[in-house]
Amino acid sequence: MLFSYLLVSGITTGALYALIALGIVIVNKASGVINFAHGELLMVAGFVAWTLHVGLQLPYGVALLGTVAIGFAVGVLTDRIAFRPLANADLVSLVLATVGLSFILKGTARLIWGGKADYLSFPPLTQAEPILLGPLMIIPQQLVVTAGALAVMIAFAAFFRLTTAGKMMQATADNAKAAKLVGIRTDRVYMMAFAVGSLIAAAAAVLMAPLTLLYPDMGFLLFVKGFAAAVVGGLTSLPGAVLGGILVGVVESLAGGYIHSSAMEVAPFLVIMAVLIVRPTGLLDFAKVRRV
Amino acid sequence: MPVFSRRNVLLVLLAGALILPWMGNPYTLFVGTLLFIYVLLAVGLNLLVGYAGQLAFANAAMFGIGAYTTGLLQVRLELPFFAAFPCGAVVATLVGLVISLPALRLSGLYLALTTLAFAQATQWVFLHWENVTFGAGGFKTPLISFAPLPVETPTGLYFLSLLLAVLLTLFAWNVAASRIGRAFVAIRDGEVAAESLGIDLLRYKALAFAMSGFYAGVAGGLYSALLNFVAPEGFDLFQMVLHKAMIVVGGLGSVTGSLLGAGILVFLLEALRAFKGTQEIAFGALLLVFVIFLRGGLVSVLKRNARGWEEPLRLPERRARLLARPGTASVPGE
Amino acid sequence: MRLNSFASAMVGTLLLAVAPAAAADAPGVTADKIRIGSFGALTGPGYLYGKLVMNGVEIVFDEVNAKGGVHGRKLELVREDDRCDPAGAIGAVKKLIYQDQVFALIGGGCSNATFAAREEVEKSKVPLLVFASVHDGITTPPAPNIFSTATTSTIESYAQLEFALKRGAKRIAVVSMRDSWGRARYEPLMAAFKSKGVKPVADEEVSPDANDTTAQVLRLKAANADAVIVLLYPKPAAVFLRDSAKLAFKPIMIGQTGIADPAAFEEQVGVPGGTANFYTISMVRYTPDDPAVDKWRKAIEAKFPGDRLSVFNLFGVGSAQVLVEALKNAGPDLTREKLIAALASIKNFETDTHGGPITCSEADHRCHKSPAWIRKEPGGPTKVLDVTPVSLN
Repeated sequence: MLFSYLLVSGITTGALYALIALGIVIVNKASGVINFAHGELLMVAGFVAWTLHVGLQLPYGVALLGTVAIGFAVGVLTDRIAFRPLANADLVSLVLATVGLSFILKGTARLIWGGKADYLSFPPLTQAEPILLGPLMIIPQQLVVTAGALAVMIAFAAFFRLTTAGKMMQATADNAKAAKLVGIRTDRVYMMAFAVGSLIAAAAAVLMAPLTLLYPDMGFLLFVKGFAAAVVGGLTSLPGAVLGGILVGVVESLAGGYIHSSAMEVAPFLVIMAVLIVRPTGLLDFAKVRRV
Repeated sequence: MPVFSRRNVLLVLLAGALILPWMGNPYTLFVGTLLFIYVLLAVGLNLLVGYAGQLAFANAAMFGIGAYTTGLLQVRLELPFFAAFPCGAVVATLVGLVISLPALRLSGLYLALTTLAFAQATQWVFLHWENVTFGAGGFKTPLISFAPLPVETPTGLYFLSLLLAVLLTLFAWNVAASRIGRAFVAIRDGEVAAESLGIDLLRYKALAFAMSGFYAGVAGGLYSALLNFVAPEGFDLFQMVLHKAMIVVGGLGSVTGSLLGAGILVFLLEALRAFKGTQEIAFGALLLVFVIFLRGGLVSVLKRNARGWEEPLRLPERRARLLARPGTASVPGE
Repeated sequence: MRLNSFASAMVGTLLLAVAPAAAADAPGVTADKIRIGSFGALTGPGYLYGKLVMNGVEIVFDEVNAKGGVHGRKLELVREDDRCDPAGAIGAVKKLIYQDQVFALIGGGCSNATFAAREEVEKSKVPLLVFASVHDGITTPPAPNIFSTATTSTIESYAQLEFALKRGAKRIAVVSMRDSWGRARYEPLMAAFKSKGVKPVADEEVSPDANDTTAQVLRLKAANADAVIVLLYPKPAAVFLRDSAKLAFKPIMIGQTGIADPAAFEEQVGVPGGTANFYTISMVRYTPDDPAVDKWRKAIEAKFPGDRLSVFNLFGVGSAQVLVEALKNAGPDLTREKLIAALASIKNFETDTHGGPITCSEADHRCHKSPAWIRKEPGGPTKVLDVTPVSLN
């Protein structure tokens, strides 16, 4: 009984991390960049959703659409301001640019929303009472998040497989020069990648906000866990990101239940260090050669 | 030699630093000492990230390990500061060596995450190994004394930090212009190529991590003495971002750049206090502006526009001939 | 590096040249102005205990200034960011004292940061009134010039434990954050347990950003706890109460001054009835929606558009009123020694916000010992249950 409770709670928390990991993976898949401001994009989108839904009393669907649209626009803007000028920069500079962006977003959010409350609450999509799922009690919003993560994964797996835009992204990521040679406008592809990544962050924010609450500093730790999940899954694999997220969540939960709650924070990091040292390209990346 | 060459400018600044204690107040003295500590951190990190190209995120953790070791040896074992301080540097160096092990298999973002995980784990140890580290509440360290020298503690610490910053910067310059520096750069520019030149990746990566650990450890020891207080929040991710920002703003792969970067960021952090609540935005915007418009950092601007700021990876001709060996690297096949 | 020290020296001397130009009898005091410094986090997660409290201080200063000031002198607030970091706090305090040359200090939000800066403040003999940091080490043993209007953690710990025992709890458990905020409360609480001869039946930890606490709840349930003392920020506490509701774990839940707005907390928990057994302590006797603090709500909304009145603002309001009272009592010939003496002799002073009267003495600089117990019945209004003055021997 203990085990099944811990497992389920690990999976539902893991779904949060998976949603973040998906956004990170999609940006990385197309551009080879890790956006260290991904958590802050999510945070800002959460506050925007709060302003639309709670502040302006717009219906949930409208708020969701509005937030996603704004998320998309922020992604385009991010690309224009911060990434296009850095097309050929080294990894350290790129990482630092995204860190700079994260500070700007955090500071701005603190100015606009920081004086409203310590943590803003956001109404759930479904009923708030826990429901009985087999022998287990579960909070419906957690199911919504898990379903959302799966939906995003499937939608984007299909996008990369089936659409031209998706194939262009894939091609650019595999070999940007070759992609350019065959006529793909790689700068557009990068822009799309950031826009889509930020759009996913926005959708994730709306799903998660009822569970995580909204506060200016919510982004970074979510990002670190999402990044960890993405790396465990191999950084370019969508199912890998979901599995990675769930793995991080379950490790946390089991460590908390069976060792001590003080082990929860550190256990996933130890596991990740071990995974990376043994299998440097992630758990699902069997076929590929090591990336250097 | 042009008037505004690196040597002349830095000598003037050094002269300024030497008389500061008689010109400023306790606040400027504090900021000055803090500055030298950050110089050490930035120079050490630049050797690892800028020269050897290892994207590591553990510098703040090693800084913390230096501070904790120095502080705890004084408090728990009652060692005097001048015995505990070198131990702190040695422990941080050893930890640097240990982190270099995963770096042999990992690079780029994978290395970034491993070292980030290491940094989180270090924080966790600071917080939870309460029998030793005193946990989240931190601990006070004894006030150090420079007796029999006739200086007060803050002034003494200022000069000690200045001395170490100068010595270790000179040392870094020499390392960078030696066989070791060239091996670092070769690894950064292509591991496979470097290996084919006979560079022992294991040895040089370990050396880069150990050196940056040493610099961070020295800085940590001084930091614990400056604050008389050690607590986990001094060594968090903001600290790490700060170190990274210094080397990028100053110039990756340039010891001089580290000096400039540390100077500018410490100065800005103090100056940004005037922004009252918008510091985060200003700090982030500055990072972006520097990374986008001044890639190569400030030092690249100076190198382009002023003579005497070059940093060749070789010593001047005559000295080089005395020391030189053929090739750029150690004996292959080790 | 030297570039910078040179530059900061230049800026330093420039500022020095400007700052004390009008100094009269004491630094920071002129014929028509008193400069008061404040340090706390303006950035980073600690801003709740820094920036927002300072906003409360500022509206009190504005009110006093509008009425002509204290003995004809207007109050000016100079804010410095300490980023909740020990080095940041030491730097901020040194800057306020030596560079900005303030007359007195009101501030201190984060426990470790304020504790680290204590030595510097004590050495400088500049009076300091702590407005939010609860660490006991800041005021005990007392420094002659440091006073506090925060409910320090020892006082809070005794209040929590007595409350649980009074309600008949036999198996008391603790769930805490192990950062410096949590630790500053956890240690005195353990000491309080010891002195009452009680042992906690379980001792669990939750991280400040936790999104799931199922493991903790299951462990507390297994320990059969009938009361849980919750040393958590509102966010992890909300997650903890939500998961407790989910797993039908219903002990008495006892909060602390970090969760001082039960109405907001009920929303944060989100599960209907999730806060039914939740009681908490506040440094102030009103929640922000209380009509009794209308005046301050209007002042905050007017001065900081977009902000809502928060309990953090109210800490600042009460604290600033104490400082203003002491400045009045110190008389028109203001010196730091006089202000310190005036602070030490504040007796039974009622602020607009604090739970009980503020009383300082030479021997005890923890001036606020009346934590207020508050509770919100699900669906009902927030009620102040009682104010329990704590006496420590």
